[in-house]
Amino acid sequence: MKLSAVFTALILSASLLGGCAQFESNRGVEVNWQSTVTEQLVNGQSTRRDVLALLGPPSQVIALDGESALYYLFERSEGEGLILILYNRMHIDTRYDRAIFFFNKDDVLTEFATRLYPTDEG
Amino acid sequence: MKVSTVKSLCTLLACGLLAACSQWRYDLGAPLADTPIPAERTTLADTLALLGPPLLMTATDNGFVLAWEHWHIREDSVGFRLGALGADFMSADWGEMRIKGEFLLLTFDKQHLLTSSSRSEWDNYGGGGKAIQPLFGFVSVVDVDDLTDVMPQHRWGRSLLQRLPGVLNTSSNLDTGQSGLQQRGTPTAAGQQSLEMD
Repeated sequence: MKLSAVFTALILSASLLGGCAQFESNRGVEVNWQSTVTEQLVNGQSTRRDVLALLGPPSQVIALDGESALYYLFERSEGEGLILILYNRMHIDTRYDRAIFFFNKDDVLTEFATRLYPTDEG
Repeated sequence: MKVSTVKSLCTLLACGLLAACSQWRYDLGAPLADTPIPAERTTLADTLALLGPPLLMTATDNGFVLAWEHWHIREDSVGFRLGALGADFMSADWGEMRIKGEFLLLTFDKQHLLTSSSRSEWDNYGGGGKAIQPLFGFVSVVDVDDLTDVMPQHRWGRSLLQRLPGVLNTSSNLDTGQSGLQQRGTPTAAGQQSLEMD
């Protein structure tokens, strides 16, 4: 009887040692390129100054032989896992909110594009 | 319950607790499989409308190059350790990794027209190993750190604050967007980056 109680306690302990995990990691610039913001920008009219005023400093500035591009990146990783001692499973999903703006030699906006995941649209 | 049965079950349970299986799954970016490739001479504006902002970009002598990528990394490992019994002097590990990915590279000229495109997909064995390690665990049988690293754009501002060999090689640094680009996992021990002695 005592031994079966010990055995039951062992099984119970093993099951209690199992767990789960959830975590998140964010890297990059603040996301300011929601559609409500970028609809203020017009190709051929808006300037680099307008973009910087609306979005702030970019992640990267790329020189293109007279032209230039501003690149904004926000990287979000979300992980969740099951920890059962004998079997552990983790899944990490990384997504990239980003925006790119091209300017001509006069610093006028020529093309731009943005990508924002729905949860970051605000 | 018989004493011998309970003892056997306890032994089985103890043995079971010594071994464990771990599975890691990484998804980086969005799949490109359903994304159509723009035709040659497509404008940059139309391309961006179709594909969204690229994940990588670099200037070239004749224009610029944009790249999109998606990675799915699968890491499986099984380990057996005596640490649970207070005797951490022996471990046995097995692990392997599979890499599935897509990469789309588009080249534009100075008139912002698409001049060439290249697309690749792969589903490969990414490595793995087995190890029996007494006393200390020195070797990790599966290593995915170089594939799951953050994007190079986050490091752009630090390019002039590296150690001297890295700073001297800044003009050829692949993270700046000025000197080319590279896919995740590209070995750094050969080519221009080897000058950085990283």
